[in-house]
Amino acid sequence: MSIFKKKASCHETVSVAASGARKVALVGNPNVGKSVLFNALTGAYVTVSNYPGTSVEVARGNAVIDGVQYEVIDTPGMYSILPITEEERVAREILLNERPHLVIHVLDARNLERMLPMTLQLIEAELPLVLVVNIMDEAARLGLEIDIPELSRRLGIPVIGAATAKKVGLSEIRAAIASVHPVTAPVPRYAPELEEDLAEITELLRGEYILSRKAMALLLLQGDTEVAELVAKLEGDRYGTLEACVREKRFKRRDSFHLDLSLERKAIVQKVLDGTFRVPAVRPVTWSERLSRLTLRPITGVPLLIVVLYYGLYKFVGEFGAGTLVDLLEGKVFEEWFNPWITGVVNNLIPWEIIRELFVGEYGVITLGMRYAVGIILPIVATFFLFFSMLEDSGYFPRLALLVDRIFKKVGLTGRAVIPMVLGFGCDTMATMVTRTLETVRERVIATLLLALAIPCSAQLGVILALLSKAPGALAVWLGCLLLIFLLVGLLAARVLPGETPMFYMELPPMRLPQWSNVLTKTVSRMQWYFMEILPLFIVASVLLWLGKITHFFEKMVDAMTPVMGALGLPKETAVSFIFGFFRRDYGAAGLYDLQTKGILNPRQLTVAAVTLTLFIPCVAQFLIMKKERGWKVSLSIGLFVSTFAFGSGWVLNQVLLATGIL
Amino acid sequence: MRCGFCGYEFREEEGNQGCSSCPMSSGCKMIKCPRCNYENPPEPKMIKTVKKLFRRGGTPK
Ligand SMILES: [Zn+2]
Repeated sequence: MSIFKKKASCHETVSVAASGARKVALVGNPNVGKSVLFNALTGAYVTVSNYPGTSVEVARGNAVIDGVQYEVIDTPGMYSILPITEEERVAREILLNERPHLVIHVLDARNLERMLPMTLQLIEAELPLVLVVNIMDEAARLGLEIDIPELSRRLGIPVIGAATAKKVGLSEIRAAIASVHPVTAPVPRYAPELEEDLAEITELLRGEYILSRKAMALLLLQGDTEVAELVAKLEGDRYGTLEACVREKRFKRRDSFHLDLSLERKAIVQKVLDGTFRVPAVRPVTWSERLSRLTLRPITGVPLLIVVLYYGLYKFVGEFGAGTLVDLLEGKVFEEWFNPWITGVVNNLIPWEIIRELFVGEYGVITLGMRYAVGIILPIVATFFLFFSMLEDSGYFPRLALLVDRIFKKVGLTGRAVIPMVLGFGCDTMATMVTRTLETVRERVIATLLLALAIPCSAQLGVILALLSKAPGALAVWLGCLLLIFLLVGLLAARVLPGETPMFYMELPPMRLPQWSNVLTKTVSRMQWYFMEILPLFIVASVLLWLGKITHFFEKMVDAMTPVMGALGLPKETAVSFIFGFFRRDYGAAGLYDLQTKGILNPRQLTVAAVTLTLFIPCVAQFLIMKKERGWKVSLSIGLFVSTFAFGSGWVLNQVLLATGIL
Repeated sequence: MRCGFCGYEFREEEGNQGCSSCPMSSGCKMIKCPRCNYENPPEPKMIKTVKKLFRRGGTPK
């Protein structure tokens, strides 16, 4: 037995370890009052040091109870013994390596239901356990009643109700530490089929483990690599058979294991709480719960989504940001005041026409690049990010993910793909990178394709909304086209690409009113990032366009594109927007904005141009990322497909509009 | 910080910062949630220092 063979790094802990002090580990979620309890138990003599090999800080202190010395360890917050974060990993390491004499699980009485599944895991691991239900005072204020003795009886472990911040329950906790004797709580049982699988695995486990075999088997099934390594080391030759067995079971349950397990634990918790945990009879359903329910049901969720989009995107971003603010900044400040002034200054300073063109010409760095970036794009992204951050802070996005899960499944995606799609409305380049997090390659390819094709980025979206909101009906046609294409291409892609759609499940954080400080912080931070990103690009693009102009390469390109534009029923000037669009999506949209202001496009042409431009080729950056994430073959095929498809759709739309005369 | 998507609480240092490969710039500052990988914007430095000052002054001893 080498319980204390691990060397401690500082003198104090060495002396503690040498004296053979028993260790007490405090575990639990963050923000449940663990540290308050730790301080109350240990008093002044505390050492805080990094856990070996990590950046995670662990606090240790001494407590003398009934004349016996204990070392108390405040572990980093953990949500599950299947670790995801480094903190959770360290917390579990402490449980595994330091063999605590007693584990105290601290949880928040107000969130008993959500936190008890981890208690089940600890019981299952057969660790010496005491449960501290903390923050009882707040729970009582909310009218929650918890029958502590009954809870203790059902779980088979000591349970203490406490309010550590008010020093309630401390003496009971001390007593529990002092009187600890091994408790044998009944280990929770799952569905028979899972129990059989677990039994098969546990039978193959022969080594000595600190956690129970059942807990080890579950962690193996959940694909915990650290546990797998440990088991491989301890089992030696026997590991091969074991691994094959685990792999087979994992494959059998690949679709929904995490979900199933979480539901099973929930059901057990429900049974434990039935009768021991009472919510007030007339529990007021908060507005946030009511709203949350409304967002999730398709019948109410979809109209709600439309309302959110109408007021958020159309009214706020489209009309206010891209209309009022752009008119002010671009129309008044740049066109009427700044551009004439700077043109005058540059004309006086620089005698050479060509150089003057570079700064203040038709495609000048200042008169075009800066004007687009600051005058058109800035107000639009500012309003968009403000709206986006508000939605984000309210907790609406995960609900949106669950709402669209059903539709997304049809196109071979899951609700999880909402994350990149939603991000795509910010910036498609960033979103394409996030597709990496989707579970299957198939999902990633479909998401990348749809992002490249049908998701306009924030600035493009804003400008297009602003453009189209001036021609009645145009917006509806544009939106209808994109939705149709999104679903159609998604459906086809899901047909063509082999593979199944995985399960999707996510826990919903509570909905709340967005907090202004959060919203502003996020908006400012996103704008800062965005601006740093686009300004240099706009300048480079301007320089390239200027080069194109003085070498007449640009004219040739416009000429070359004229027949294509003609086929779409567009004037040849529109080609310029498409060339801009290749540099950046928003640049192209801003070009279109310019054309419309000059009165060159009628509503039909505007709509056709907007649809084609939205679908049309992803910007350079997005293409590069696509290549990086998916490789040459996939990204080139996507690029080619998207470009032909965009012009094809534009052509069809033009014919339809001409034939029906809707616009 | 709290993930804007799934509500998971984590420390800024824990978030994945995987965008150094991005061709757009020298890598973005976004912090990806360790649970769902949603990109969260970091707190701008200025706001962080202001907050810290408040916390220092506000904590009861
Ligand atoms: Zn998250």
